[in-house]
Amino acid sequence: MNALPAWLTDSRLSEDIEPLLRQTDDESLERLAAEAQAVTLRRFGRIISLYAPLYLSNFCSSGCVYCGFASDRTSPRRKLEFDEIERELRAMKKIGIGDVLLLTGERTNAAGFDYLRRSVELTARIMPRVAIEAFPMSVAEYRALAECGCTGLTIYQETYDPENYAKLHRWGPKQDFLERLETPERAITGGIRSVGIGALLGLSEPIGEALAVARHARHLCRTYWKAGVSVSFPRIRPQEGSFQPAYVVNDRFLARMIMAFRTAMPDIDLVLSTRESSNFRDGMAGLGITRMSIASRTTVGGYVEAETAGASQFEVSDDRSAEEFCAALRAKNLEPVFKNWDAAYNNPLPEKERA
Amino acid sequence: MNALRLGSYTFSSRLILGTGKFSSVSAMIEAVRASGSQLVTVALRRFNREQAEDDLFGPLSEIEGLTLMPNTSGAATAKEAVKAAHISRELSGSPFIKVEIHPNPHHLMPDPIETYEACKILAAEEFIVMPYIPADPVLAKRLEEVGCSSVMPLGSAIGSGQGLSTSAMVQLIIRESSIPVIVDAGLRSPSEACAAMEMGCEAVLVNSAIAVARDPAAMAGAFARAVEAGYDARNAGLMQRSGSAVATSPLTSFLGAGS
Ligand code: SF4
Repeated sequence: MNALPAWLTDSRLSEDIEPLLRQTDDESLERLAAEAQAVTLRRFGRIISLYAPLYLSNFCSSGCVYCGFASDRTSPRRKLEFDEIERELRAMKKIGIGDVLLLTGERTNAAGFDYLRRSVELTARIMPRVAIEAFPMSVAEYRALAECGCTGLTIYQETYDPENYAKLHRWGPKQDFLERLETPERAITGGIRSVGIGALLGLSEPIGEALAVARHARHLCRTYWKAGVSVSFPRIRPQEGSFQPAYVVNDRFLARMIMAFRTAMPDIDLVLSTRESSNFRDGMAGLGITRMSIASRTTVGGYVEAETAGASQFEVSDDRSAEEFCAALRAKNLEPVFKNWDAAYNNPLPEKERA
Repeated sequence: MNALRLGSYTFSSRLILGTGKFSSVSAMIEAVRASGSQLVTVALRRFNREQAEDDLFGPLSEIEGLTLMPNTSGAATAKEAVKAAHISRELSGSPFIKVEIHPNPHHLMPDPIETYEACKILAAEEFIVMPYIPADPVLAKRLEEVGCSSVMPLGSAIGSGQGLSTSAMVQLIIRESSIPVIVDAGLRSPSEACAAMEMGCEAVLVNSAIAVARDPAAMAGAFARAVEAGYDARNAGLMQRSGSAVATSPLTSFLGAGS
């Protein structure tokens, strides 16, 4: 493998976060929580912006040991046809969703770039904001997606430990550690406005992973000053294949990690998905977390046909309806915000075409 | 109080409210009412015609006597801001536009170059243009020259609560400006709003300090009274500040005394 980029090993980029993560006592946790809450309130007010994932396809050419969609799993493969995507989106819209994350597995013939591009185009006609979580692409491909109205990309490095990465990714295009690491930069260069990064917590030693995520976020913010950067905190969940993670990331550590990121990076969105329990999600809302997914279906075709949609990528932990979840936020004096973007800002023309 | 003039509009209230960051639409509406504001800004991003409980525009447009100033928050370039302004005017019918262009989505600092470009276009299209700007006296004059109806320099970074950390620059802007200067962003307390008015601002725009207060409506009322107090104090003529005590027997009395 080529050399790791300098920022990944530059401990100066994470030196303010490290001591916060190494503390283990209750008192420091409580102090950190108070600080994180104050910073969040000042900068983001009382709003939590909401999004929902839509699984377009579970075809995949990779063999990640921890994933229910890996190509050696026996579950049936499926992708949504365009009329089905439209039906799913309409069903999502009915529950108020205005911000969608489209997901696919690694690139396959069944669900490749063209399929994704057309899905983005269709979604952008219906939803004010469209982001993707899909296979790494070229700058030109990201540019084409941005021109169709895609404004965001989520891509987790899964683990920032290259050796462990090699073991966990048994085959397929995802085996290339550096190619994946550089994906957010290619997306930004292609005109995608915001990128979300993260590590799949549990795969490698958690403090090291947290510090690497922090360095990555800071590197992106400094190099690409116009791009939005957000950080997610996915913990590995049960899935088909019964992979057992090597590390246990408990709630206390996860909360500490989120709050440390909030105090060190006051301006970026911190995201929590429905992988986490309702109790944990409610507790962390406004305590660092500013963006959350709702009513998630992690199966292909899950919004229209919730019962029959088949195997999921991982199990959802918070399975409350959008209404129930919003009621819980409101009870905490937080406002769930469904639309926090407008298509007016989509599809910026390249610099040279500007007036 | 004399009226605040913006374009062909006049307002008796000099407190302008921002509408983001509240815990609910109803908390926001209560604060707007308690503030006595007649002009409030609302982001096009938060117009949601399809879902009433998520929409800020609909409920605000029902308050009588309130003028809405859509803002272009979310725009990173002049082109995007102009597009957002056109859509906002079409949806709201308001001639006001708060030009807000921040290419860095993290600290939300306004881009002076893109802001200037957008204002030039929008003023020519007869919008009442209210740009949110860095506290830069030269940029303020440039914006006045292209036909903006006010300039809105920041007191400090959005949501920072650091108050009037740009006060020296805002004073320069006020000294030179023939259009209203309105401090926007960073104010934490009513006393800071009062200070901005005493300094010579024609109005202040407040959002976070009210939205995240334990009782937003009560805080909105407190800001309204502070803004009035500051405005009245300025008109009444503030006592001159003196750096040293004035001696009771003047030090220069010997001048003119016979030799
Ligand atoms: S994690 Fe992604 S790339 Fe890996 S097997 Fe699952 S769907 Fe495929």
